[in-house]
Amino acid sequence: MANKENDIILTMTGVVKTFPGVKALDDVSIQVRRGSVHGIVGENGAGKSTLMKILSGVYTKDKGTIIFDGETIETTTPHQAMQRGLSIIYQELNLVNTMTAGENIYLGRFSEVNGMKGTHQKAREALDRIGSDIDTWTLVQDLSVSRKQMVEIAKALSFDSKLIIMDEPSSSLTQDEMKALAKIINQLRSEGISVIYISHKLDEIFDFCDTVTVMRDGKVIDTRPVEEFTRMDMISMMVGRSIEKEFPERPRKVSTPLMEVEGIKTKKLHDISFTLNKGEILGLVGLVGAGRTEIVRALFGADKIKAGTIKLDGEVVAIRNPRDAMKRGISFVPEDRKQQGLILPFSVENNISIATLKNLYKFGILDKNKERQIAEKHIKTLKIKTPTARTAVESLSGGNQQKCIIGRWMEIQPRILIMDEPTRGIDVGAKYEIYLLMKDIVENGGSVILISSELPEVLNMSNRVLTVCDGRINGEFDPEKASVDEIMAKALGVSVEGAMA
Amino acid sequence: MKNKGLGKTITTSIVKYKAFFAVLVMLLFMLFPRTNFYSVFNILDMLNSASILMVVSFGLTLVILAGGIDLSVGGSLVMGGILTILSMNVMPMWLAILIGTLSGAVIGTINGYIIVYHKTEPMIVTLGMSIILTGIAQELTDAHPISAEGLSFMMIGNGRIFGTIPNLVVIMLVVFAVFYVILRYTQFGRNLYAIGGDYEVAKYSGINVRREKAATYVLAGMAASFAGVLLSSKLNSASSIYGDQTALTVISGIVVGGTSLAGGVGGVGRSLVGLLVFAIMENALNMLHVDAYIQQVIRGIVIVAILALDSYDRKRRREDV
Ligand SMILES: Nc1ncnc2c1ncn2[C@@H]1O[C@H](COP(=O)(O)OP(=O)(O)OP(=O)(O)O)[C@@H](O)[C@H]1O
Ligand SMILES: [Mg+2]
Repeated sequence: MANKENDIILTMTGVVKTFPGVKALDDVSIQVRRGSVHGIVGENGAGKSTLMKILSGVYTKDKGTIIFDGETIETTTPHQAMQRGLSIIYQELNLVNTMTAGENIYLGRFSEVNGMKGTHQKAREALDRIGSDIDTWTLVQDLSVSRKQMVEIAKALSFDSKLIIMDEPSSSLTQDEMKALAKIINQLRSEGISVIYISHKLDEIFDFCDTVTVMRDGKVIDTRPVEEFTRMDMISMMVGRSIEKEFPERPRKVSTPLMEVEGIKTKKLHDISFTLNKGEILGLVGLVGAGRTEIVRALFGADKIKAGTIKLDGEVVAIRNPRDAMKRGISFVPEDRKQQGLILPFSVENNISIATLKNLYKFGILDKNKERQIAEKHIKTLKIKTPTARTAVESLSGGNQQKCIIGRWMEIQPRILIMDEPTRGIDVGAKYEIYLLMKDIVENGGSVILISSELPEVLNMSNRVLTVCDGRINGEFDPEKASVDEIMAKALGVSVEGAMA
Repeated sequence: MKNKGLGKTITTSIVKYKAFFAVLVMLLFMLFPRTNFYSVFNILDMLNSASILMVVSFGLTLVILAGGIDLSVGGSLVMGGILTILSMNVMPMWLAILIGTLSGAVIGTINGYIIVYHKTEPMIVTLGMSIILTGIAQELTDAHPISAEGLSFMMIGNGRIFGTIPNLVVIMLVVFAVFYVILRYTQFGRNLYAIGGDYEVAKYSGINVRREKAATYVLAGMAASFAGVLLSSKLNSASSIYGDQTALTVISGIVVGGTSLAGGVGGVGRSLVGLLVFAIMENALNMLHVDAYIQQVIRGIVIVAILALDSYDRKRRREDV
């Protein structure tokens, strides 16, 4: 039906974009076919989001041509881009927290949908279409991260779009939501709508995409049909050197108990008991919302504990707030880093040093050189891509922002490091560095509690895995012996034997 | 939902509609002492004196909702009154009133232009504007109150419909209705919530953020100078000092009503109730012969107490998530 040139929805040729100190895009050319799902992968800071923001009118290109749906586009605004039939799910959540889910979906289109009633009606339809039961009247600030992401997806689909860009849409989706997304993408493809799909989760790339472009340092390295890639050459192309394995050797220095948790109860948790040993990486597995985050929040003093005790080195300690926890050497890398961690207008070095500032005073004066040195050290080990240590964090790519937070908590040299989804949105190369850092901590006598939705990561790094279901710990596994299915069944709460720990 | 007791539901709603409850509590309290508080005359009189600041608050609420602030509403109010009275000497009354009202639109346009298109701090710009306006007002009036000739102008601010309901209350309600409809039923109004809630998100959603944000200052200026026209009619005079307290009084009323200074949350209904809190309080304390200085202290305590409830509300919500 479609003739040859009509077959292409988007052609970008020789696109260049420079930010102060960074060449974010260097002669990028990409072609997207109608009705195809086009994956883009690359390290943090490779330029993926920048390329998309040029398309959606957030940034303007320095050079190059863009042809969208047969029309050459010089400059565009977000509004024009939408009207041309291009919608985008931004990597950073892009919703107004103080408004309802429904209003967010039809933001700026109030009169188009005939007022409040129409807004909620249409929003309901949009959410139903993606199989989500979110109430359109809920304030976005009261939704979990994964549900916010679903609202974003519904919003992007609510436009009559020809091309939908999804920049890491799935970073915090639950398994069910992930399935819904897969279905949506297939449906879009069959309707002839194109999708650009960006993700660091290579499984998704292989599952969804027809064509994949690999980017590195602002350049396109290669574009091929997905069948012509193997996982390992995709990774090697991304990082620019050959990679043999995705995980380092599991640490093996587990010794005596460091922390003993007995009968902890909070609003959401029932009778949580477990032991964390020195030199151990303890994995917590469970569905989003099962209570994994609540467990570590309780340990960190962020949620109120109603009953139970926590012992450190055999002694009962009171952890009433995060400050108590930090004094005792517990650090926490939270899940929602944007909200709970980074001060966006601050520089990379300030963001890294903020939790350890008191060590940096000499005669009551901040030792700026030392601050700089520390920041440089983390920039190097974590490969944070930034022009200088003084650059504001808000201008870094999404993944590099997260690395800054991880650097901050590493700097504390915690005895117990709690990491909630530490590698979300982080590229494969940098993931490896984070695994090495975890290993470093436990090999020096510390311990790590690792929460992750990426099962391979938990299974390959942990010494022990606990499954969490409905606010309880319902199973304990040795990841070297147990099978993935066994662990997942337990985490889903569908086990048949059901022997409670 | 399931383990939410009745007690909790009640506290939650008290916290949510705190200004409304404050009004209720005061009304109940005033049932006991023997005063004239509950006479129709007193109630109408109370509303009558509150209505001018309420008109100011409706416009200013839009600015605050969109994430801005306007400290020059007092200046616009003063200019509205002075220009109306001065113009009346040389032109028909209706035209003078129009000029007075539009003076605020001009002031708001300048504010909005500087703040939005030159990305300057609204607090500073409007503070500067308010100083400028005071200067101009003093120059125009030689720093003395001026008044209009004839009685017809006075009738606007002092007349009563059917001999009972003060004109000002009716006018206030009409202005309220206009702003209420703007906020609730127009694209522009809904966009303001988005702009104040998250400026970047609003921008990337294709909203013309700059134009709409600038428009809030125009509307706020206009509402304030219109209130100034009403005030000068009521007092049959205009003076450069009438606006001295306006901005802070109105802002505290707006905030107590439940519109967040951070933007994105609130509405004109809340501002009306917020200002009502102060109106009732002042009236009741006068009835009870409370010393004027003590009244000040009480007013300050009420502002802080109601805002403290606000942060309590946020805290418990976070725990619930
Ligand atoms: N507003 C900005 N100001 C300055 N530099 C920027 C800005 N936005 C992006 N950059 C820089 O451009 C480069 C590319 O960033 P981009 O966000 O496109 O990366 P990405 O491929 O999306 O990475 P990630 O996987 O971490 O999301 C980075 O080096 C980043 O620091
Ligand atoms: Mg990105």
